[in-house]
Amino acid sequence: MEAILDKLSHLWPEITMLIGACACLIAGLSSKQVVRKATPGVAMATLVASGVVLLAFGRTDTSHFLGLGAMAAYLKLAVLAMGLLLVFVATGTVDRLKQVVAAEAREGKAFEPGDDFRAEFFAFMLFSLTGVMLTAGASDLVWLFLALELTSLPTYVMVATSRDRDGALAQESAVKYFFLGALSAAVFLYGFTLIYGATGFTEFNQIAAHVQENGASPLMILGVTLSVVGVCFKIAAVPMHFYTADVYQGAATPVTAFLAFVPKAAGMIALIALLGLPLSDVNSETGAIQLPEPLVYLVALIAAVTMTVGNALGLVQTNLKRVLAYSSIAHSGYMLVGILVGPMLARSLMEANPDADTSLSNGTAAVLFYLIAYGLSTVGAFAVLGSLERKDGGEVQSYDDLAGMRLRHPFMAGVLLVSVISLVGLPPLVGFIGKLYLIGSAYAAGTSDAGHAGLYRGLVVLLILNSAMSAGYYLRIVGTAFFGEDKGQTVEAGVPLRRVGGILAALASIALGGYPNAGALAKAAKEAAEPTDRVEPAAEHEDAKERQSAFRLSDPY
Amino acid sequence: MLETAVYIPWIAALGALVCGVLCLMPSLKHYAGPVCVVSILAGFVLSVGAFMDPGHPLDAHGHEQHAPWTHQHDKQSSEEAEDTSHNETHTHVGDKTDHHDDSKIAEGVVIRTKPWIYVGGYEDSKTGQYTYGDPTHDPEDTHGLTIAYGYYFDGLTMAMLLVITGIGSLIAIYAMGYMKGDPGVARFFSAMALFIFAMTTLVMADNLVLLFLGWEGVGLCSYLLIGYYYGKDSAVAAAKKAFIVNRIGDFGFLIGIFLCFQQFGSTDFAVIFSDPRIAEDGVALPFAIQAIPFCLMIGAFGKSAQIPLFVWLPDAMAGPTPVSALVHAATMVTAGVYLIARMMPVFSAVPESLTVVAVVGGFTALFAGTIALCSNDLKGVFAYSTVSQLGYMFLGLGAASTVGAVSHLATHAFFKALLFLTAGSVMHALAGTLDIRKMGGMGKHMPVTKWLMFVGCLALAGFPLTAGFFSKDEIIAATWIVGIEEGSGLFILLGILALVTAVLTAFYTFRLWFIVFSGETRYEMGDEHHSEDDAHDDHHAHEPHEMPWWPMNAPLILLAIGSVVSGFILVKKGVMVKLIAASSANLPILHNPTADTIHVLMMIISGILAVGGIFFAYVFYSNNAARAKIVANLFKGPVALLQGKYFIDEFYDRVIVRPLFITGQVLYLIDQLVIHATIMSFGWAPRLIGRSVQPTQAGRLQGYGLGMVAGVAAIALLLLFLL
Repeated sequence: MEAILDKLSHLWPEITMLIGACACLIAGLSSKQVVRKATPGVAMATLVASGVVLLAFGRTDTSHFLGLGAMAAYLKLAVLAMGLLLVFVATGTVDRLKQVVAAEAREGKAFEPGDDFRAEFFAFMLFSLTGVMLTAGASDLVWLFLALELTSLPTYVMVATSRDRDGALAQESAVKYFFLGALSAAVFLYGFTLIYGATGFTEFNQIAAHVQENGASPLMILGVTLSVVGVCFKIAAVPMHFYTADVYQGAATPVTAFLAFVPKAAGMIALIALLGLPLSDVNSETGAIQLPEPLVYLVALIAAVTMTVGNALGLVQTNLKRVLAYSSIAHSGYMLVGILVGPMLARSLMEANPDADTSLSNGTAAVLFYLIAYGLSTVGAFAVLGSLERKDGGEVQSYDDLAGMRLRHPFMAGVLLVSVISLVGLPPLVGFIGKLYLIGSAYAAGTSDAGHAGLYRGLVVLLILNSAMSAGYYLRIVGTAFFGEDKGQTVEAGVPLRRVGGILAALASIALGGYPNAGALAKAAKEAAEPTDRVEPAAEHEDAKERQSAFRLSDPY
Repeated sequence: MLETAVYIPWIAALGALVCGVLCLMPSLKHYAGPVCVVSILAGFVLSVGAFMDPGHPLDAHGHEQHAPWTHQHDKQSSEEAEDTSHNETHTHVGDKTDHHDDSKIAEGVVIRTKPWIYVGGYEDSKTGQYTYGDPTHDPEDTHGLTIAYGYYFDGLTMAMLLVITGIGSLIAIYAMGYMKGDPGVARFFSAMALFIFAMTTLVMADNLVLLFLGWEGVGLCSYLLIGYYYGKDSAVAAAKKAFIVNRIGDFGFLIGIFLCFQQFGSTDFAVIFSDPRIAEDGVALPFAIQAIPFCLMIGAFGKSAQIPLFVWLPDAMAGPTPVSALVHAATMVTAGVYLIARMMPVFSAVPESLTVVAVVGGFTALFAGTIALCSNDLKGVFAYSTVSQLGYMFLGLGAASTVGAVSHLATHAFFKALLFLTAGSVMHALAGTLDIRKMGGMGKHMPVTKWLMFVGCLALAGFPLTAGFFSKDEIIAATWIVGIEEGSGLFILLGILALVTAVLTAFYTFRLWFIVFSGETRYEMGDEHHSEDDAHDDHHAHEPHEMPWWPMNAPLILLAIGSVVSGFILVKKGVMVKLIAASSANLPILHNPTADTIHVLMMIISGILAVGGIFFAYVFYSNNAARAKIVANLFKGPVALLQGKYFIDEFYDRVIVRPLFITGQVLYLIDQLVIHATIMSFGWAPRLIGRSVQPTQAGRLQGYGLGMVAGVAAIALLLLFLL
């Protein structure tokens, strides 16, 4: 009980979010239209309030098994900030058509709660974001599973309800998303079960201690493998990537932006934790603890295939939302490289040389940075698509729709330029710095881990080749927008806040870029990923043993 | 005044810049001519000032840096020591203490700016300071290369500067009239001034790299000016030909520069000439040093149109005639002669190289002279004559008579400029007609031009006491002296060739003159109209007319005077001897009874031959073309061969150009089919991957589920192997 209370004391920001979500539910179902319209405002206020609570009462988890207690706070804050941006972009998504509302008002029809989805939509958004925050603070397999599902489940509903027009399309993709999501949940839950079976623990600290003591059994490795593969669904990585394009296309553009960041963030956080569990092999040269061999190769394989497949599919795709979906797959592949080298370096670097500048060699920091870099750029791009609509009321989805938008929508064209160029990874934008960190960390890993030098260097080369490949479709987007012949098919959607969201994302992409180590984000990511407050291994060990024996007593077997 | 001489190139550069700006202002473009003339004239004034300066290299005291080097001549008799004693009086006492008593010291004044190119360097082990270049110039220990934008003045530089700016000014003045009304006049004068900038930089450079910069600069200007009428395909082709043929020469030149740096640790003349292996006789030279003069020679042959790289010069006459006079007769084409004269210490250290120079020069002289015999192109005759005269200069260099070579360079600049410009007047009067078979009796229409060209022809033919007579005689005599004194059959043969060429020169020169100016009046007007806005334009349609005195005929008068007296002053009065003696090109001049006898004999023989050649030309071509036809019919084969210019162009085309072209086509095909296809396949690979993976994105839930489960299964299977 005390433990639970102790945990709860970490959770004030999440609790604030839940309260805000409930407020959204109430506001969205108000009989007064003004209050209903204010629902996004309530969501924004909740995010801000949660951030304030986090900064004011947030505590660092000193018992984090990787010593990465500071990471949770960084991620929570980042998710809140990105969430704010996503609410900007999501405004107006589930608003019913003005004509319909006006007609109903004329007819004197009373407000029918079943007709309006605002309440659920924004409440679910907040729930999903809460799920990411909980994932960041997870220290137990069960908790992690619940947090991941809390992230995902609301998104299924958001997809289904997101589109008034083409509602069937949204529902189809929601159904696909749900079934495949459930399948993946089954896979990683199975993995969790195997981890529990192999070690007898569900808490990360205990699992890690057990593995360090007894080595990673094949069962443990299989469990972690299945968990990783299952979580690949959240980050849209091979072989769980199939749904991505369909769902991204079917959902309304603002929801797509949400899908492109939030579940991916949760999945990445989960992967950092999951791959921190089986650190048992000892590097013969540096003495650092590292991933078991099979997992290194598996994650490397998944990363390589994911980025290549994503970019290759992006090249031959003509629907913009699908292109961005494939781009999101490819970026997951990039980040997996950082995930792969992260656990090893995060633990060993600080021990080897506490004063070393690890900004270009810490894989975890690179992923933490890249997640935000990718989020800003991709949300910016989706915001541009969302801020425009075709004259026939449809969504902007094809290259033709963008053609010549430089003249009609110069501001949004600028936002698109910044976002897409950042996705390509050109300096001085944030995407470039992120890619630099990823490549730097993989390269440093190749240097420090001679046994896998070829593997890590190969991933570096592949990552660079893939960046070049991705330029093939990214630059086509910019080229069409700036140099294409204006077909006059689009008008601005009547939701100014989306444009604000896009411009904010673009400004952030510029401001957080610059040169390496310049931005506040880079500094924060680096600090978050460095084991700041490591628990004395001996004491931890004793503690773990004690708990272990206590657990064994109640073991039915 | 010597310090101010460093501004000579830069005034010309400023002129080029101003003319370039005037290109953009059509209303002001007729000021380009005066601007160009002023910029070149200012250079001439400064050159004269430097020449008159007591701080002249002949008497070089009190200048920033002196670069003395020794050049030992062990074969010299005491008589030469007397002859060159003036040289000794002008050197510093301090610098000479360690020199041999019998050594002659020629030195130039080096005016340096900061080094502008550093390659490599070394770190001082004590101070830790990094120094570029190698101040010790230890050839065994070359650390790096430092190249200064430095100027080097000695007698040779002086001579070249006076010729370039002096003749250049006169030609530029003439060009003001010749180019009047041409739409591209500002472009023309901009390139002319730029040419003077490059040419003066070339002759003033104190290191091979800066010299090469000027060398390439004149090449560029030559290209621009040959292709001045870029609307004409032939002009464009000629410009490209000149540029490409010169690249072949430059290749050799560059290798020579590299070897100089490798062997001497510097490209500075002062360093190279003072290197003990060059300055002292009897030192066994490594192969790399022996190769240097041969490499430089290739560059010189390219620029000065010698066998086998002469083919570009006749075509270069596609440029405006003042360009032919300045660039392709008087100055640029003599850059090769200058290069060998400048590098004479290196060449004379490898005597075989001078022999090769002499052979190439001698044969080129005869070869080009024979082509000129049968050419019917007004400017073509003079073009081949230029090649031939340049051959004389190389023969002179090879026969160790730099005085003769450089004197001939100077006198040739006068009379060949005069000839080209008078030819230009004829061409101008006939609106572009160049075929001498369409001309005759032009003297009635153009009396001034007729007699001006007559003076030029006399000088070119080597008529006694004209400029060409003295300078050419110096070369022929030097060749014979080497041949007889050293018992060299090769040089005797070259001497005979030189004499034969002298007859041919006199013959073809006056053949041209008689055809054009004597006999019945006949002409065909060409289709060029140089001066749309000229008051006398209407005359063009009717008949040729004399050129105006200003600005066209007046400078020609000066050139004509030079053509007559310059030989006497330069050679007989010993001006050139003094200048050369005070330069790196200084070589011993033999003065013994035998040599003097040969000299006098050759003067008499070549004088007789010149008069004889002129007489034959008179017999065959003055008022009686029928006789010429009879002779021509007797030698149908040779005439066809000569009129075909030995079919050298065709030969090169078949042997070099076509095979290269075919090779190029084959390589292009390989490039397209192999390399291009490979590169493109890299571009197609991602798309192929994309297309092949695309079917998995079919949109069916079952398919996706199956894919995911299959993926999990595959990974689980893989794990089995990995575990």
